[in-house]
Amino acid sequence: MKLDPKVPSGPIEKKWDHHRFEMKLINPANKRKHEIIVVGTGLAGGSAAASLAELGYDVKAFCIQDSPRRAHSIAAQGGINAAKNYPNDGDSIWRLFYDTVKGGDYRSREANVYRLAQISNNIIDQCVAQGVPFAREYGGTLSNRSFGGAQVSRTFYARGQTGQQLLLGAYGALMRQVDTGKVKMFPRREMLDVVVVDGKARGIVVRNLDTGEFERYAADAVILCTGGYGNVFYLSTNAFNSNVTAAWRCHRRGAAFANPCFTQIHPTCIPVSGDYQSKLTLMSESLRNDGRVWVPKKKDDDRPANSIPEEERDYYLERKYPAFGNLVPRDIASRSAKEVCDAGYGVGETGKAVYLDFRDAIERMGRSAIEDKYGNLFDMYQRITGEDPYTVPMRIYPAIHYTMGGLWVDYNLMSTLPGLHVLGEANYSDHGANRLGASALMQGLCDGYFVIPYTIGDYIANVDLKKVDADSPEFEQTAREAQERTQRLLSIQGQKTPREFHRELGHVVWDYVGMSREEAGLRKALEQIRSLREEFWENLHVPGRNDTLNKYLEIAGRVSDYLELAELMAVDALDRKESCGAHFREEYQTEEGEARRNDEDYMYVAAWEWKGENQDWELHKENLEYENVTPSQRSYK
Amino acid sequence: MANRYWGLASTIGKKLLMGLTGLALVGFVFVHLAGNLLLLSPNPDHFNLYAHTLESMGFLLYLAEAGLVLVFGVHIYNGISISLKNRRARPVQYRKKGNAGGASYKNTSSMSMIWTGLILFVFLIWHLIAFKFGGGIEAGYTTQLSGVEGPVRDLYALVVERFGEAWFSGLYVLVMVLLGVHLRHGFWSAFQSLGANHPRYMPYVRALGLVVALVLAVGFLFIPIYLYVTGGAQA
Amino acid sequence: MAKTLNLTLRIWRQAGPDAPGKLVDYEVDDISDEMSFLEMLDVLNERLTKQGQEPIEFDSDCREGICGTCGLTIDGVAHGPVAGVSCCQLHMRHYRDGDTITIEPFRAAAFPIIKDLVVDRSAFDRIVQAGGYVGVNTGNAPDANALPIAKNQADLAMDAATCIGCGACVASCPNGSAALFTGAKISQYTFLPQGQPERKRRALRMAEAMDEAGFGNCSNHAECEAVCPKSISISNIARMRREYFRAALTRRDD
Ligand SMILES: Cc1cc2nc3c(=O)[nH]c(=O)nc-3n(C[C@H](O)[C@H](O)[C@H](O)COP(=O)(O)OP(=O)(O)OC[C@H]3O[C@@H](n4cnc5c(N)ncnc54)[C@H](O)[C@@H]3O)c2cc1C
Ligand code: HEM
Ligand code: HEM
Ligand code: SF4
Ligand code: F3S
Ligand code: FES
Repeated sequence: MKLDPKVPSGPIEKKWDHHRFEMKLINPANKRKHEIIVVGTGLAGGSAAASLAELGYDVKAFCIQDSPRRAHSIAAQGGINAAKNYPNDGDSIWRLFYDTVKGGDYRSREANVYRLAQISNNIIDQCVAQGVPFAREYGGTLSNRSFGGAQVSRTFYARGQTGQQLLLGAYGALMRQVDTGKVKMFPRREMLDVVVVDGKARGIVVRNLDTGEFERYAADAVILCTGGYGNVFYLSTNAFNSNVTAAWRCHRRGAAFANPCFTQIHPTCIPVSGDYQSKLTLMSESLRNDGRVWVPKKKDDDRPANSIPEEERDYYLERKYPAFGNLVPRDIASRSAKEVCDAGYGVGETGKAVYLDFRDAIERMGRSAIEDKYGNLFDMYQRITGEDPYTVPMRIYPAIHYTMGGLWVDYNLMSTLPGLHVLGEANYSDHGANRLGASALMQGLCDGYFVIPYTIGDYIANVDLKKVDADSPEFEQTAREAQERTQRLLSIQGQKTPREFHRELGHVVWDYVGMSREEAGLRKALEQIRSLREEFWENLHVPGRNDTLNKYLEIAGRVSDYLELAELMAVDALDRKESCGAHFREEYQTEEGEARRNDEDYMYVAAWEWKGENQDWELHKENLEYENVTPSQRSYK
Repeated sequence: MANRYWGLASTIGKKLLMGLTGLALVGFVFVHLAGNLLLLSPNPDHFNLYAHTLESMGFLLYLAEAGLVLVFGVHIYNGISISLKNRRARPVQYRKKGNAGGASYKNTSSMSMIWTGLILFVFLIWHLIAFKFGGGIEAGYTTQLSGVEGPVRDLYALVVERFGEAWFSGLYVLVMVLLGVHLRHGFWSAFQSLGANHPRYMPYVRALGLVVALVLAVGFLFIPIYLYVTGGAQA
Repeated sequence: MAKTLNLTLRIWRQAGPDAPGKLVDYEVDDISDEMSFLEMLDVLNERLTKQGQEPIEFDSDCREGICGTCGLTIDGVAHGPVAGVSCCQLHMRHYRDGDTITIEPFRAAAFPIIKDLVVDRSAFDRIVQAGGYVGVNTGNAPDANALPIAKNQADLAMDAATCIGCGACVASCPNGSAALFTGAKISQYTFLPQGQPERKRRALRMAEAMDEAGFGNCSNHAECEAVCPKSISISNIARMRREYFRAALTRRDD
């Protein structure tokens, strides 16, 4: 395997333009002879499928949910960035580019990030034209806010439901193409494998989740937009159906998996309340603008928050980071919370929470001002916890939220498996080692609306695609393998449910490959993951049959893939002997406890090649060169 | 396209017709009530003169009656067709019934529109047989009105006679209650069906609906009770 | 501090689309009142699985009230007793020890049951397909600020656009009508200048799709608004009707 990033030459501002000119075009009459499979209908998949169909390709789109509109993108709250500079506060394409590269702690590819910043403006235009009801000023222009500690206001938003509105825009565009017949939509299908013919991705095998049938579909190219793998942690802010299965099965067929250990932890989530807990709910980061984070100064202090006097409270973020205080970046806020809780200062029944207190803000601005700003978040908190955050400080704890790692792609968004393109959160993205708030939505739509429509044509025009159909031996073989794997899950008939395995795995990954990692822990994790995987294949119990709807069977399949992915995450984390972005190795920190990057040895993307079951992965490095931004150490003191 | 006939065959179109005919019927019933209140007059001539004047309008009356038949016809036909489609759209009922409360206006009235409607329909036939086509001059219900030549139909006597029967009056009272129930939901619903819903004014329309339902029901049921109890003017 | 509840659940079990269904009783003990309703069902399912029984199929995804995947009729009310939330946001603290809770699928002819509590809501997609969008191809957009939109218009559009497509409106409607869902979508674009070019076409086609998918008439029960997790107002249904009349009366065949 050779990694060829295919970054075009020339100055960074011109790369995409030149590239677009140099790419081959397909004549409109011929486009309709080409079939493209799009897996996933989130922001990335929905926008890609719609745009490709508009161009004339025949598109088949797949998703797990009963409607393409339910993809997990729907849950994004905060907003979407763009370099419009409408507020006139000094933003520019260059600054968005710079911030994203810096935010990613210099582990992303400059050319991709620049293109992302360039295209960000077109995305907003497109979404507004679609009727996405973004927030507006009285004068009728679009409203912006600052998000995730950015120093400019470049975030566009639609109340706390930006992801929903953007996705409904893309979904509408998609359904319009379904209506014209250019897109055929296949909901309630789970992709279980990619079919490789002559070394190229030429189709997929899916399981019909209602009937259990294994269906085969052929095409000229496959576009994977299946989202992130945060659910490897069992508890995450991701939706129940979010999974790594599609990406992982592609990985096993030759697509390199890049930077799997780059996973982002969000600092403000509602803490776990018990074993039964099925998901973590994110509370918008904006709360940190006015809330103060603290824990009691005394260990295991079990007095109610309000009876702990001021002088016995430790506002540890303000203490440690006087300049940024409660507004330090996500990774720092998260890690600090973990530190104080691990040291025994945590609050709540589980001791795994810190306070986010609005007492002072309410005193300063009045309750109604707080209501205006955060009313719906406070309501949500109260609904879930039964506590009134106006009178009792919120309890929060970090949770896994986004995965920067994913399938490696070149500048054209093609993986190392020719013909397999990967968009959105599923790819090793433009976010390096850490993603900035409001940038994932931007990236998904950039990939889908504005990049893939060009690059897919170039791919199709340049390769020799002989006709294949879904009855060819390669398809039969792949389908048989998928079927056998599913059958195997059902036939073990052991004692433990897939959820139990998932929960156990989640604990291991969270404890050792979570917010902070160190060698011994990672080695322990490797051991535990491997033995859990062995147990899984011997002691799994999946109820029911294959030929009906069977959620436990779906979960089991996904967990089987997490058990492999988790190992690779630990391997990757172990390999990266530095701290950067969201990846914090305890061995590599500065005197003050900050992340210490090692640009000398680790300024690369780690792309792992699958070598077979129970074999070691092979590491390929894409060395990163920074021609436009000079790497520097982050500091928030 | 299913949007034939100016869209009137669609579900939305049918509801438009329901609303229009419903409100037209409310209008008719109000006028009818006003006329019928003359039955409460101590002088039977008042009512008979009113009835006679109506009857002697000739062509105009036929036109009005034809309009009325059309309005009733459309209302009844659509009411039944809508209800049938609704039944098909929700073939299996919940085992455990519930009502969400809050913003909901689902109530006995709204849930029984087709039943109150059908009862009104049966009532109507009975009503017409009893009064419109019952007891005319030939049957001896005659009277003289000053300023009118020849014998005139004594509708007043007919009405008083019929309402003298307890079961007759009783049934009427019952049906008038059901009319109120029909309109409790029907009145404001008609506005919503016509697309006339402005959040600012809708509460008033709903309140008005209650008033209309009460006025019509009480107004109508008062007549049989009054006539039954008092036995009419010349008893 | 968390309390625990012992409950009787009466749950609709149905093996497949055409299989007969029935309510089955389950006793569940030791339910923490901090659980969400769906977590309570998770716990039941884990226990059933351990006992060698088939777990109860129900749908959910985001579990934070935005994706519209979850949907149960709880004691006769779609999404259960708390107003303005979907059932994934319903918490057990709203129940008392010893309660009996009846759980049924969303019922409507247009939402056939797939298994147990899971229904097929693809009829909604067919309605959207008929016009729930602005027909603008990628790349055709002018600058986003080229088209000013009054703040209150944008807010009203957003109110209508918050619909999560859960189908509770249909499930709660005695007539199985999709008027609220369709009305909300049509309203969103009626408020926005972007929606004007296709205004008539959209109203006609979406209403037609709604009828063809087998949804009932709207008799204005407003039960839909009461159960809607986004509290979408039935004034959107009235608006849909206005849009429809306008289009039906004035359209030219296009
Ligand atoms: C709570 C939350 C809040 C967030 N807020 C923000 C924010 O404010 N701003 C921001 O920029 N980002 C935010 N993010 C991140 C952002 O939402 C996601 O990264 C982004 O939406 C991912 O989009 P996607 O299209 O790549 O994937 P998804 O939207 O996850 O879509 C995945 C699609 O793939 C399908 N799929 C998956 N697996 C399979 C399979 N095996 N077979 C078939 N189909 C499959 C699914 O059905 C789905 O359609 C947030 C994330 C979370 C969890
Ligand atoms: C004669 C037999 C009648 C029948 C069969 C009948 C039937 C119905 C039905 C089924 C509905 C509900 C339609 C729906 O589901 O939305 C309805 C609505 C209504 N009816 Fe009647 N009805 C009758 C008589 C009347 C009369 C006499 C009046 C007035 C005095 C009346 C006034 C209304 C009104 C105002 C509505 C509301 C219309 C709407 O919601 O748009 N109806 N009727
Ligand atoms: C106490 C209540 C009522 C009384 C006393 C009453 C009385 C009468 C009388 C006396 C007539 C005959 C008129 C004629 O032949 O010229 C009549 C006709 C009629 N009534 Fe009533 N009525 C009552 C309630 C209603 C109600 C509730 C309705 C509607 C649902 C109704 C609908 C009609 C209609 C449609 C006619 C025929 C009108 C025509 O063809 O000219 N009536 N009514
Ligand atoms: S209108 Fe409300 S109840 Fe109906 S689908 Fe939308 S969110 Fe659900
Ligand atoms: S409950 Fe049904 S009748 Fe209309 S107002 Fe709502 S759709
Ligand atoms: S599971 Fe997403 S709304 Fe309930």
